[in-house]
Amino acid sequence: MPIAHELEYARPETIEEALGLLEKHGSGARPLAGGTDVVPAMRDGNLTPEIVIDLKAIPGLAGFTCDAGLVRLGALTTFTDIIESAAVLEHAPLLHEMAVTVASLGVRNRATVAGNICSAVPSCDSGTILLVYDASVHVVGPGGERAIPIADWFTGPKRTALGEAEIVTSVTLPVPSDWHGGAYVKLGRYGGEDLAQASVAVLALSDGSCRVAFGAVAATPVRAPKIEALLGSADLTDALIEDAKKLVSEETSPIADIRASREYREHMLPVMLERGLRAAARRRAGGGPAYGTRHI
Amino acid sequence: MRRTITLNVNGESRSVDVEPNDTLLEVIREKLGIKSPKIGCERGDCGSCTVLLDGRTVRSCLILAVEAEGHEVVTVEGLSSDGPTELQQSFIDHNSFQCGFCAPGIVLSATELLERNPNPDEGDVREAIAGNLCRCTGYEPIVKAVMDVVERKAGK
Amino acid sequence: MPELKYVGTSTTRIDGAEKVTGATRYVDDLDFGPDLLHAVVVESPYAHARITAIDKSAAEAVPGVVKVITGQDFPYRFGLYMKDRYVLALDRVRFVGEQVAAVIARDPKIAQRAAKLVEVTYEELPPILDQAASVCDGADLVHPGLYDYERVPWFFPKKDTNIAHWRKTRKGDVEKGFEEADVVLEDTYTVPRYAHCAIEPHVAVGLFDQSGRLTLWTASQSPHTQRNVFAETLAPLGLSHKDIRVISPLIGGGFGGKAGVTMEVLAAVFAIAVKGHPVKLRWTREQEFGNTYQRQGLHAELKMGATSDGTITAIEYTMHWDAGAYVEYGANVVNAVGLSATGPYRIPNVKIDSLCLYTNLPPGGPYRGFGYSEFHFGLESHINRLAAKLGIDPVEFRRKNAIVEGDTLAYGASMNPSGLIEAIDKAAEAVEWGKAHEPSGPGKVVGKGFSLMWKAPAMPPNAGSAAFLKFSEDGSINISVSGMEMGQGYLTAIAQIAAEVLSIPPEKIRVETPDTDRNAYEWQTVGSHVTWGCGNAVRDAAIEARDRMFDTVHRALGYEVDDLYLEDEKVKCRTAPEFELPLPGFVIYGIQMEDGTFRGGPVMGSGAFMPEFSSALSDPETSQGGHPNVHYTVGAAGTILEIDKQTGKMEILKTALAVDVGQAINPDLVKGQIVGGLLQGFATVLYEDMRFDEHGRLLNPNFTDYKIPTALDAPREVVPIIVETAQPDGPFGARGVGEHTMIPAAPMIANAVADALGVRLKSMPITAEKVALAVEAEKE
Repeated sequence: MPIAHELEYARPETIEEALGLLEKHGSGARPLAGGTDVVPAMRDGNLTPEIVIDLKAIPGLAGFTCDAGLVRLGALTTFTDIIESAAVLEHAPLLHEMAVTVASLGVRNRATVAGNICSAVPSCDSGTILLVYDASVHVVGPGGERAIPIADWFTGPKRTALGEAEIVTSVTLPVPSDWHGGAYVKLGRYGGEDLAQASVAVLALSDGSCRVAFGAVAATPVRAPKIEALLGSADLTDALIEDAKKLVSEETSPIADIRASREYREHMLPVMLERGLRAAARRRAGGGPAYGTRHI
Repeated sequence: MRRTITLNVNGESRSVDVEPNDTLLEVIREKLGIKSPKIGCERGDCGSCTVLLDGRTVRSCLILAVEAEGHEVVTVEGLSSDGPTELQQSFIDHNSFQCGFCAPGIVLSATELLERNPNPDEGDVREAIAGNLCRCTGYEPIVKAVMDVVERKAGK
Repeated sequence: MPELKYVGTSTTRIDGAEKVTGATRYVDDLDFGPDLLHAVVVESPYAHARITAIDKSAAEAVPGVVKVITGQDFPYRFGLYMKDRYVLALDRVRFVGEQVAAVIARDPKIAQRAAKLVEVTYEELPPILDQAASVCDGADLVHPGLYDYERVPWFFPKKDTNIAHWRKTRKGDVEKGFEEADVVLEDTYTVPRYAHCAIEPHVAVGLFDQSGRLTLWTASQSPHTQRNVFAETLAPLGLSHKDIRVISPLIGGGFGGKAGVTMEVLAAVFAIAVKGHPVKLRWTREQEFGNTYQRQGLHAELKMGATSDGTITAIEYTMHWDAGAYVEYGANVVNAVGLSATGPYRIPNVKIDSLCLYTNLPPGGPYRGFGYSEFHFGLESHINRLAAKLGIDPVEFRRKNAIVEGDTLAYGASMNPSGLIEAIDKAAEAVEWGKAHEPSGPGKVVGKGFSLMWKAPAMPPNAGSAAFLKFSEDGSINISVSGMEMGQGYLTAIAQIAAEVLSIPPEKIRVETPDTDRNAYEWQTVGSHVTWGCGNAVRDAAIEARDRMFDTVHRALGYEVDDLYLEDEKVKCRTAPEFELPLPGFVIYGIQMEDGTFRGGPVMGSGAFMPEFSSALSDPETSQGGHPNVHYTVGAAGTILEIDKQTGKMEILKTALAVDVGQAINPDLVKGQIVGGLLQGFATVLYEDMRFDEHGRLLNPNFTDYKIPTALDAPREVVPIIVETAQPDGPFGARGVGEHTMIPAAPMIANAVADALGVRLKSMPITAEKVALAVEAEKE
């Protein structure tokens, strides 16, 4: 079935040109990067912009840098870019572990991290990872540039803090410059491409603390402050992990949908948290499975 | 608004009139007359519309044709203008495909893999073609054909 | 049997090169020029409703729209075994997605936009969404006119009910059988609906030309049957078989979904509505899920008894099928199961009831396995449980009761030659039955599962196959048949059969795809019967061509026909070793005599086959007296399954299937059927199912949420095992294998899960979620 509604297409070459088009068309404009969410939504008739604004010719949005201390993902950075980067694997390995679980290769070659968080479905893989890295989303609009903490980014299912006339220019992740470990535990229905039934991200820092986030079990990806507070900087003993698992139900509100029952999500979240914590701790200690290895 | 775009398709520069809402898949099939990319699900799930865009596999159903202006598109027709490639011959020798509808996409995905990683293991092969659904074969003869090429090249 | 040269060898597919180079043209790839019109269907949003008005004026006013059609334009009923379907809904819609109207336009985008402007007014009716609602007292009738529908003589609908067909099979005395038993087990098993998921969606192009000729290009397993159904349906318009031509190029997968007639009848009437213009109808993936045949849901009650020495004494199997809104094909699935639900076991006392129930879900129909996968799930689960109650090893229990040649089938006929015992032994050996396996890590357990299977082709007793064969100057051959190559390797197998008779290598043989004007007849490519049926026809065509050559040689050169034979593309003579007549040249130009004249002529042959021993006539209360099934293909399968007890995730470490194919025409292609079919079967138990909401709407009409396996979801190791106990009436002893390979997969997993965890899951699918939650429930 083709895209039935008529639309215009623009390929601005500067940010200013893109912002001008956004301002002119208002809610009728839709920025386009990889297109892997936008194109099927237009085909289904769920999205009927009068103009799509292709961002791929704007030089400032391309490219990414990755150093100890800061990872900057230009808005056009694809999941394949991340997977193929040795620097990402070294400095922000969780990003790598998440990226390999996204869709399939032919989609990852095109789909962007920025697009993923703009679509903002509760199961979006990038969300939990960016949460535990305390990322910032950099946007530009008529009022100039601003940085939105990832914690404020997701405002509801498929809703974000991005203003109507704004575009995302980059996502930055302040990554710990010293050794750290992490794990992305994604529950899917099988080994092939799937949207997360539930996901858990754990970042284990060198000071002994852990950051934890959950995906697909609340209206948005969420951090788990009570679990993080409980864990503090203590050793991850069996008893502590058991206590942390008991707090999962206070941090999440899973529902039943076509992908999983509420009961299965409730059953799996503590299992996933435990596996994530243990893998992250082992990696922090210099061991553990290679990043990209599945935990389930 | 209709516009004329120019693409490099299988090594040849082609100009074509497109609407902004035409997908690359529609334009390749209906306006350029190249039929190996197939319409399977039109939402990026099945991989039967796979083409190489600037050397990388993409879902041509998820790309507007206008986005591809000035870029290089290769379909399976472009791989085998001088007869089957070594990889294609291996697929033939292994009776890898049954109905064949997924074959153009899988040939391209496996071609991309071997370009990027000449020495993949079986897991890499499975990951590379995991976005190309095949309902007939159970994938085994497909994976085996790719691994045979890898092993032959490595002199194993 | 003389030594075979081409039959039995793993030659590469004759369609291999065209498929990997992108050269294959499927229907959607054919070019019809700039006059091609495009149709989009307006679908019912309701599972059950009366149509009270249709306003098409707004759609007709859209520039570029050529025609808007409703059911009133073509008020005809059609169907394969029972005429219960409508070309387009007339006064009532019976499932969500049913075609109510259609827009034909110059451009698919225009058609799509205009289709949204067709205003249909409905009066909603309460929908019947499962078997219980269908058979309950006072249920609304989905088809009040059911009893008067034209149908085949072996269907038995019940008047003023939703029971479209009730197949009863009775043998012996089940009450006595249960009395004799030391152990009796009774339980309920359920199987949901499934989708075929051929990667190529249905597509059809119709052209009704100015001379009144109707041509259809269809992605079909059944071109001749389609022509027949079109001719019957369109007879009121004065069309007959000679006016209708169906052309079917290679198809991108079928699995039963492209058998019979579904959306193709729409392309036929659309073409008639826009005479002179070709018109294309292509199903979207959503329509592919929602408005073609679906595998029917099953609610099954099973009771079996056995004596303490492990002899099965009786089976009582009652099956209620959710057959959907129209059952013109699906009722025959119900029928086939009603005859064969004993499985491959020798059981003296049998009572089977198989009921085809109308519901307001999409039409059920043929799906690889034709109902056998569904009933095997309960049966083979039950066999394991009975064995456990008796304290007998489940493989040994199966071996003891396995049917053998000459045993009396449930409907009274006799079992064909069968290598079932050999298959059981080989499959058990391959999975090291009886040996324990260490799990790969803590929290994991390993279980083993086993299952037998059998299946017969389900077809009318007079389903025929025919073949034409002709030589070209260089001794190459074109074979014209009408079976469909849908991946199974039919073209290659047919070439190998002709190659064997004529001593021509398969690569010198081209086998044509169907065109009902030009090719020989084939009933349908279903039931795993074409290698057998059409193979017989091709063998006979090749023999006829060979005999013509021998006759020419005899007339021209005097050698006795009985002494002549073919070898290496030459006619040779046993009594004259020096004589060699190469086929190239001779097969067209004949043999020149001393006086300069020639003997011979272009060599060709024809063959036809029908199983003349088959009959569908029997007592409707017992099914005794007929011979409805031509033969059964049997097999046995085992699997080693590892389960993570926390997550429920399962991995098939190894699986083996031994199947008795009579004679493998091409062993590699048989193995392809085993490996591919098993994965399709595993998918139905591990990942897939169709989900409907309380309004009858399909919730997962896409691959995002209907999960067919990827390359990452295949078993770690598959061991295909070929058993060959010749089928006496098959070509070189061959019998069918296409469908059978998915049948044992589901119960085998259920049995392996039970072995590993002690938990018996009786409802498909058996997903990781169900396993994990079952483990949790056990704990409590």
